[in-house]
Parts: sequence; structure tokens; C-alpha cells
Amino acid sequence: MFKKVLIANRGEIALRINRACRELGVKTVAIFSEPDRESLHVRHANEAFCVGPGPAARSYLSIPNIISTALITHCDAVHPGYGFLAENARFAQICADHGLAFIGPPAEVIAMMGDKATAKRVMREAKVETTPGTDILESVDKARRAARDLGYPVLLKATAGGGGKGMRVVAGPDELERAFNSAQNEAEASFKDGRLYMEKLIVSPRHIEVQVLGDNFGTIVLLGERDCSVQKPSHQKLIEEAPAANLSDKGRQSLLAMALRAAQAVHYSNAGTLEFLVSGDRVYFMEMNTRIQVEHPVTEMVYNIDLVKEQIRIAAGEPLGYTQADLKPRGHAIECRINAEDASNNFAPAAGTVTNVVFPGGPGIRVDTHIYSGATVPPYYDSLLAKIVAFGETREAAIARMERALRETVIEGVNTTIAQCLEVLATDAFIKGRYTIDFLPALMRRDDAA
Amino acid sequence: MPGNNVVERVRALVQTFLETDLVRLRIERDGGHVELRRRASSRLATAETAEPQTQAPPAENLDEIKSDLVGIFRFSRPAPVVGDLLDSDRELAYVEALGIRNPVRSIGSGRLVSVCCDDGQPVEYGQTLFEVSRT
Repeated sequence: MFKKVLIANRGEIALRINRACRELGVKTVAIFSEPDRESLHVRHANEAFCVGPGPAARSYLSIPNIISTALITHCDAVHPGYGFLAENARFAQICADHGLAFIGPPAEVIAMMGDKATAKRVMREAKVETTPGTDILESVDKARRAARDLGYPVLLKATAGGGGKGMRVVAGPDELERAFNSAQNEAEASFKDGRLYMEKLIVSPRHIEVQVLGDNFGTIVLLGERDCSVQKPSHQKLIEEAPAANLSDKGRQSLLAMALRAAQAVHYSNAGTLEFLVSGDRVYFMEMNTRIQVEHPVTEMVYNIDLVKEQIRIAAGEPLGYTQADLKPRGHAIECRINAEDASNNFAPAAGTVTNVVFPGGPGIRVDTHIYSGATVPPYYDSLLAKIVAFGETREAAIARMERALRETVIEGVNTTIAQCLEVLATDAFIKGRYTIDFLPALMRRDDAA
Repeated sequence: MPGNNVVERVRALVQTFLETDLVRLRIERDGGHVELRRRASSRLATAETAEPQTQAPPAENLDEIKSDLVGIFRFSRPAPVVGDLLDSDRELAYVEALGIRNPVRSIGSGRLVSVCCDDGQPVEYGQTLFEVSRT
């Protein structure tokens, strides 16, 4: 097992990783930017180093300062968390070059899955169904021909993309050229890679993903699926649940079989998530995230497995020690993301100071958070304040428990998405488990009209 | 650069520097040089030949020289001593990071008031290394 791990992240996930390390007897080194000096992840780590000013490009993305910190504190390994450098193949390779274990899959797998167009080609070769689409489109003319072959509406996507950036829906040929140029510019600005590919737009799909764990000895297991269809117009998730509601046994088997084929095709190791679009009985591979996901707690609650500990154990060379047959899910879990955002203003981020906070408790409630009364919410990073997770023996029990927990939650000083989450939980569509990725945008439009 | 006037050229250089993510830029030419450093507190970059700052300096005119990276602090030779009179560009120490020696300079003349780190000490971004009185 490692002696010391550098946590290359901030906020709730840095605290989460710190907890896993501490429970494994591993010392921790936190990095922080100047505005994050008083953060909980800094206070709870064994050591902490400031790596730069507020802007992420000069702090949490500063590879030289992060590697230098790991070396001078004699770390064995680096956990990248999610976001920032978590899916940066170059960073993973630099860690390896400096004798630091990267707690994640190998750099070449990150590179392969990080290029969305390449990932889809690999999946097609592995007989994993992907959304009908193209490879990289070098010009508007090629895009036009591709759209004609696929049939409108189509989706232009950035091959290096994520978080909805560099993505454009094109309803018809008149919109194509402007959408192509706009998406290309946004992709170039966001990822320094303006290459685009195209997919047939799957209308009103569900976003269902599968959690994968693989060790370095070839054992790969699946920890079920999560429904992440409650998404903002920007495609960022707001509520997730495990397992997915109203998924037939046949649909679930098909989904999991496809996920296993996909993970095996790339000889996957460590934790990862395969994301699919599900439309009726059709399941399409969308992309693979080669890291721990924000919503991992719902899987942990249902499978009673600490995924972050498993990441660390796998990276340290330990075998999983169990097989698929040993994994038996129980009950239902729902996660609500509480963000510092103004839901009435299209979820605009709301930086500030948390003046008062009270989190819920009681049976079946878990709160992953980095905030406390007096904590500042800097303007430089994502707006996640806390994840509230509710477990119940049934889906109905989990929903009731989540509603109770949200009503107990007090966060003052910044706008939050608590009210939005409560509104979603009370809708007929969510209660019946019949919602798609169009659900929340439609609810927001209805609220705006009212 | 526009015009031949030195101040105009330095002003243009400062403006260009501020538009980048650079933390330090040094240009040597014809026996002279200009060095720009971005302070860790994110104040405007300063230039040795730029206009004087408009902010009122602290009573002692005490300036902190901070590390702009993470590494191991080491004194240059001869090691600076409290009370030393510093000329405009003396190398006081360096921060060793990833096998690279990153000089720490006095950035202007003054008297060394404090040495804030020990030789071989790990330092973080923004950590005060020296205090220099500029009066």
C-alpha cells in the first residue's frame, strides 16, 4: 500500500479522497490555491501546499507545481479526483515518468477514451453499439454530406469535449454552417482542440451510465447502472439515482453486457464509467469517463463498496479480491447536487460566503461536502457545494427520505439548487421514474412561463 | 514596439506581459535589461524602468519577495545576510523544482531586513522568502 498520496484536487472530492486514504492508513498531501487556503481538504490533510493563485490554470492545473509538491513531500502516488487533470493523459504520463503512481487507468487508455471520436471507433470495433455518427469532420462540406446521410436532426460534438462545450444541435441544413463554425470556435477555446464529429441526435433519450472497476490482473466487474437523466440545459447533472427506474431486465442485461464488452475491449483498470443513451430498447455508447464520477456515492450506497478505496488499492497493485457474483446490490439511492447557483437565472453561478449551514442527518442519509459556516465560495471553480445522498429499501422510500433531508438542509449566504431539487422530486415524471434528458429543461421552461 | 522612447517601449511591454500568463519576463539587450515579475498577490506586474507605483508604500517601504513556485529553497553563494545592502538585481537564492534552478532576485535595490526560509526548506507558491526595505 502507498505511504503517502498527493490529492490533486479541491472541494468535496479532495475531502473524500483524504477520508479514504486516512482509513487505509495512508498519509495525505493536499494542494490548494490561495482562495482555498481555509478549505476543509487543506485542514484535514497531513500536509498542504499552496500551488498558485485562484485561476485554475495557474493552480489546480499547474502540472509543474503539483509534481514538484508530490516529489518534495515524498509521495508515492497522486489521486486526480474528477475534473482538472483527472482525464489528462499527459499528466498521468508525467506522474509515471517521475515515479509517482497515477491512481487511475494507464495514460494510453485515458488518451484513447479521452478522444471521443477514437473512443467510438474502438467501441464499434468491439461490437458495442454507438450512436450513428462519423469520425472527425475536417470541413463544413464534409459535415453537410454526413448530416444528409445520417438524417437531421444531428449533433455536432467536440472530440476533446465535455460538459456540453463545443456541442450544437443542428435541426436542418440551413443551420449547419453557423453551428459548425460556432462549435469549432468554442471547442478550440475550451479544449485547445477544435476538431468536431457528428452524431445522429437521439431524441429524448435517457442518460444511463455503468460503473466499472478493473484491477491490474484482468478482473473487471460492473457495479450496476445510474440514471443521470435529470440534467440542466447545459447537460450538467442535477440528480442521479441507482438503480435506474423502469429499466426492463432485458434492457438492463443488454446495457451491462455492452458495458462489459466495452471495458474489456480497452483492458480497463481502476474505476471508470461508461455512459450510454437509452431510447426505448435501443442502447448507444456515448463516452467513457476514465475517473471517479461526482455521483459515485449512489453506487457505493447500493453496493456497499468504497469506490475511492478500491481505486487506491488497485493502483497499489492489489487484486480486487471479489468477482461479479459477489456483488449484490440492495435498495435504492438518490443523490441531489447542491450547487451555488441561481436556478431562477438559468443556474448562473453564485460565488460568495456561506454564512450559515446545517446539513441533514438520520438513517440512510450521507452528505459529501467541503463547506462550513464561514466558508467562501470562490468564483474560479465549479459551483458544487454538497452532495446529499439518500438511501432507502425501495425507490419510494429513498425519495421520501431525500425530500425530508432537503427540507432539513440550511445553506445561507449563497443561492442554491435545493428548491429546484425539491421541485423535481415532487413531479409526476420523477415519482413514476419516467423522465429523459429533456425533462428538466422542459420543467424550467414551464417555470419561466409561469 | 511603437516609438523609440524607452518609457513608451517599457509601457507597451508591461501591457503585453499583463495579457499573458507569464510570471516573469527578462529581456537583455545592448548591455541593459528589463525584468517584469508578476507578484503572487496578483498585483500589477512591476518593471524596473516603469513609472513609480501610485499606491502609497508602507511606512517602512518593506517589500516581500515571494516564491512563485513550489520547490526547495536554497541560498545562492555568497548567502545573503540580514543588513546586506542589495544592488538592483542580486540573486539571493533559488528555488529548485523538478531539477531546475529558478533564481530568486532582489528585484531592485534596498536593505535585506529578513531572511524567512532556511536552506533546504520546502516552499510553496506565495511563501515569503525575504523582506527588503526599499528606503
